[in-house]
Amino acid sequence: MNRANKHIGIGFRKDFAEEFLEKKILTPAFVEVAPENWMGIGGYWKNIIDKVAEQYPIYMHGLSLSIGSPDPIDWNFLGRVKNFLKTYDIKIYSEHLSYTKCDNAHLYDLLPIPFRWDAVHHVSKRIREVQDFLERKIAIENVSYYTPVAAEMTEAEFINAVVAEADCNLLLDVNNIYVNAFNHKYNAEKFLDQLPLDRVEYIHMAGHEQVEPDLIIDTHGEPIIIPVYELFEYTVNKLPKNVPVLLERDFNIPELAELQHEMSLMENICRRAWNHEHAVA
Amino acid sequence: MNTQLHEYTRTQQSSLANYVRTGVLNNVEGLTENRVHYYRKLVYNVLNDSLQSAFPITYDLLDEDEWNDLVEKFFCNHNCQSNEIWKMPYEFCRFTKKYGDELALKYPHLNDLLLFEWTEIEVYMMEDKIPPQFAVEGNLLNDVLVLNPEFNIIKLQYPVHLKGSKEIKKDDQGNYFVLIYREPKTFKVQFVNLSVYYAWLIARLLEGSKPLIDIYESAEETFQVDKSTLKKNSYQFITDMINNKFILGFKNDSNSK
Repeated sequence: MNRANKHIGIGFRKDFAEEFLEKKILTPAFVEVAPENWMGIGGYWKNIIDKVAEQYPIYMHGLSLSIGSPDPIDWNFLGRVKNFLKTYDIKIYSEHLSYTKCDNAHLYDLLPIPFRWDAVHHVSKRIREVQDFLERKIAIENVSYYTPVAAEMTEAEFINAVVAEADCNLLLDVNNIYVNAFNHKYNAEKFLDQLPLDRVEYIHMAGHEQVEPDLIIDTHGEPIIIPVYELFEYTVNKLPKNVPVLLERDFNIPELAELQHEMSLMENICRRAWNHEHAVA
Repeated sequence: MNTQLHEYTRTQQSSLANYVRTGVLNNVEGLTENRVHYYRKLVYNVLNDSLQSAFPITYDLLDEDEWNDLVEKFFCNHNCQSNEIWKMPYEFCRFTKKYGDELALKYPHLNDLLLFEWTEIEVYMMEDKIPPQFAVEGNLLNDVLVLNPEFNIIKLQYPVHLKGSKEIKKDDQGNYFVLIYREPKTFKVQFVNLSVYYAWLIARLLEGSKPLIDIYESAEETFQVDKSTLKKNSYQFITDMINNKFILGFKNDSNSK
């Protein structure tokens, strides 16, 4: 298939599944799915994911592994993840550097891990165990957070320590860096310079919503703003290698042509940075 | 290297998670207190949106305060176990059945309604099941019938599948059986009201070993009704089930599909 976007993928949503398959307005290099939404299902949606898998490479971005939780890892769930990875020949599996389950209760959203040394060791050990079980490296995403919790180190130190100790890859969410820099009043570019960019396997881009004069929430429900594109350009120019980039849009989904436009903007930035000859209209 | 999470860190994480669920904030170090409520709001909205989407009829039946109180009670007191958020509404059904006594006094059909709405989701989403080999043509009476395996049968006390949820009264209480199945090609979920006899008949067909002619023999004994009458009365039901793709065909290995 001829894909206009060589680097940019789309977060696959049920909201636009039919239009995506029928109209080919979006031309992603790949699609990303959350295993929690597509594993262990049949019928209509199984038929859809099978059609998508026939046409596009699939990457997987988990929601509920809760790698930063004090609770034990759910190995049964991870076993199902492993089967799903195999079934759809998925090359990248990423998860969040956060926790979504605590005291034996799923919360279905991302809570911030305390930036502490014991948490670094705890999370890193769990990532290594997950990687051993899956027989592959995973990529861990830097998350947005709205308040620190019992921090004894900076966020950048925490991310660096986990990635090094776990020997995992980094899913760099550029919007999250922008959001955190705004919310916690630091310089996004300087923050990015501190990260282990040689470990970046994958990039996420998304929109956000400013809810207070000094607070942005990472909603994935708005278009990407220009400063985030600028930070993205800064990022891709710093990376030692080309990596796939994902557009996430989970809510308030616009016409697909608008998403395609956002993907094209990112594709052009990648091509400029990575010395491709032709930009995408 | 000691990779054990310190008790202090564990407590900090637990306190934040507990605040998110209950709104009770206990000694979390370094919090930006005027922001932490966003976590509670975000998690609550995820949960509430999923439940509203899963139970549109129940959401419409309850007034706003009743719905919000029930969701809040669930949020605070129930430990959600499903990794997949689409499965979480089943836990809400079970929670409401166990702890929703006050609401059930006002809405005696509440638990049936939640179960009915959940079962539609469950059948719609259930993993594909491969039926036994079957032939599309055969003898209705003498061949074993092959059923569509993608279904569920639920027993209800109130006819939430037959009447508007706001019209159901205490007097409607009875025994209702509902067959909910997924059409093989369209993936649409259909439901059929079953009498006790038809629920029994499907249960016998599910055993997959006896043709209708033998099942009518048993039915005659079980229901004390003449088998020729049963045969006559069942014909339309069986035909409808074939036309509606719940009965897929005939177990006939020599002419199988």
